[in-house]
Amino acid sequence: MSEPLLRLDHVSKTFARGGFFSRRRIEAVKDLSFTIAADKAEIFTIIGESGSGKSTTARMILGIERPTGGSLQFDGLDVGALNGHADRMRFMHAVQPIFQNPFEAFNPLKQLDRYLFLTARRFGAARDQAEAERLADEALRKVGLSLAEAKGRFPHELSGGQLQRVAIARALLSNPKLIVADEPVSMVDASLRMAIVNLFKALRDELGISIIYITHDLATAYSISDRIIIMQKGEVVEAGDARAVLAAPQHPYSRQLREAVLTPDSPRALAS
Amino acid sequence: MSGPVALHTPTTPVAGAALASDPVLRVNDIQAHFRTQHFGVSREVRAVDGVTFDVRRNEIYGLAGESSSGKTTLIKTIAGAIKPPLQVVGGSVQFSFMPGYPGLHAAPAAEVERVRWRHLSYVMQGSMNVLNPMRRVISTFQDFAWRHLGGSRKQFEERVVAHLARVRLDPAVLRAYPHELSGGMRQRVTIALATICKPDFIIADEPTTALDVIVQKDVLGMIRSIQQEMGSSVLFVTHDMGVHAHLTDRLGIMYGGRLVEEAPTPEIFSRPLHPYTVYLIGSLPRIGDDTPRKSLEGSPPNLADPPTGCRFHPRCPLAMEVCARQVPPMVESLPGHRVACHAVNPGAAA
Repeated sequence: MSEPLLRLDHVSKTFARGGFFSRRRIEAVKDLSFTIAADKAEIFTIIGESGSGKSTTARMILGIERPTGGSLQFDGLDVGALNGHADRMRFMHAVQPIFQNPFEAFNPLKQLDRYLFLTARRFGAARDQAEAERLADEALRKVGLSLAEAKGRFPHELSGGQLQRVAIARALLSNPKLIVADEPVSMVDASLRMAIVNLFKALRDELGISIIYITHDLATAYSISDRIIIMQKGEVVEAGDARAVLAAPQHPYSRQLREAVLTPDSPRALAS
Repeated sequence: MSGPVALHTPTTPVAGAALASDPVLRVNDIQAHFRTQHFGVSREVRAVDGVTFDVRRNEIYGLAGESSSGKTTLIKTIAGAIKPPLQVVGGSVQFSFMPGYPGLHAAPAAEVERVRWRHLSYVMQGSMNVLNPMRRVISTFQDFAWRHLGGSRKQFEERVVAHLARVRLDPAVLRAYPHELSGGMRQRVTIALATICKPDFIIADEPTTALDVIVQKDVLGMIRSIQQEMGSSVLFVTHDMGVHAHLTDRLGIMYGGRLVEEAPTPEIFSRPLHPYTVYLIGSLPRIGDDTPRKSLEGSPPNLADPPTGCRFHPRCPLAMEVCARQVPPMVESLPGHRVACHAVNPGAAA
């Protein structure tokens, strides 16, 4: 067994809230452990409602938030204590984020291609503008767009689904090993949701990129995930193979979640 | 529902309730466009372009469609929230409780005052934006409903407390500020607020989209039981097809500013006819179903420069020559099932 790509070892995060006199501690994540293997790409899903700690987990994996307990190792780097420019650059090369609302992720006053060129020159191999354009076009083609469609356009000129794909293309420019996607489809329309979700599958199968997919949507999670953990109030209540867990959840909370999913197959359960 | 709900059964049925098929809302070929003029460049976005449908008494009518399909503009037009650059270009919106006016946007202010909240109310998406953060919940109730219900302060408050019991809220929330309540509780407060005057018609715009799944199911059940108890009509807008499947009686599918299909909700799911609806239903992921989901090619139409003819034809697998030329009319292909598609209704275009 080789060293895993990502290892979370009893990670926890506590936020202190309040002033000098009344200090309250909120345990956002408690004792979370899992690993993602380096040799086999997979889609690892974290499911939970608001306040379950899933976004805090994502921020810790991305190195935005430091864990208050336990250790978080990525490819030999201690993410909780990244120090120095070289380490940080190496980490940012390998781990890329995709956020919930693509309209907030992009500066509305900046053309989209400029983001791609900047990323290509900073994290990609591009040395000059021509090469940056070539790399940007290549990345956009991987997500089903082309540079001609994005060039000179501002974020508001694209639909949410297209913009989210541009965000994924931007993340691909640095040839990452891991993508952390925090609710990437919750702002995207139902008809475009599957296109994005299927894209994640293609990234895993064709490019060998592991994806941490954070969501509260059980149906899309079922259709793409390999492994899954269900979080409630900072703790993992159930973990395992995605299909097995979602088909027959064991923990009362997971069962409650599963029952609350409104599927088109059992219509009119609320009527009468 | 049982228990505290029974306290407050409606005693005066609304006039005309005997005719269940009576339309409360009749939208007739409504057209609402955004018209802008900047530096001499005029632009027209045809967000709602000729939509016709009825909402009957005592039914939940669902509207589904992706963003930029015009569903939000349509309900803004129905609610009379017309502000430039949005303009009503043609058609009418007729409410049974407001005869003689072609819509709220064209009615005098006094008439709008009379109707609003008493006959027509709203449940909106962001409950935090609806409730005034600086006022306690009870003050918001007083602002909205006191003038319609009348009575002394004490009588009014008793009525509010009795009504809150229907949405299973403790009277203590009346003394709270909105930020002290959870998202689910706040949304229940807005539902109570929208239903306390027993309106004939409720417009619900994605009321549960911001809620967690477990809370969502709870809130939807509440909307259903209050609606059935009061016999109101609800226009329910969301892009979540799962919610439509569970809640609505009839469902209209919008695409590119037009209604493309309308049928009783179970029929839309079991027998979709329009190619866009077929795709929409087929693409829904289901737990326990491992067949891969196809995604639709292309992108939603640009309404500033929409495709000619049927607006779906550039993405449609069944597109024919006529589709690019002629707008397909809305035709009742099966009883109670209307579709606008040349492939489904050959020769329907006159």
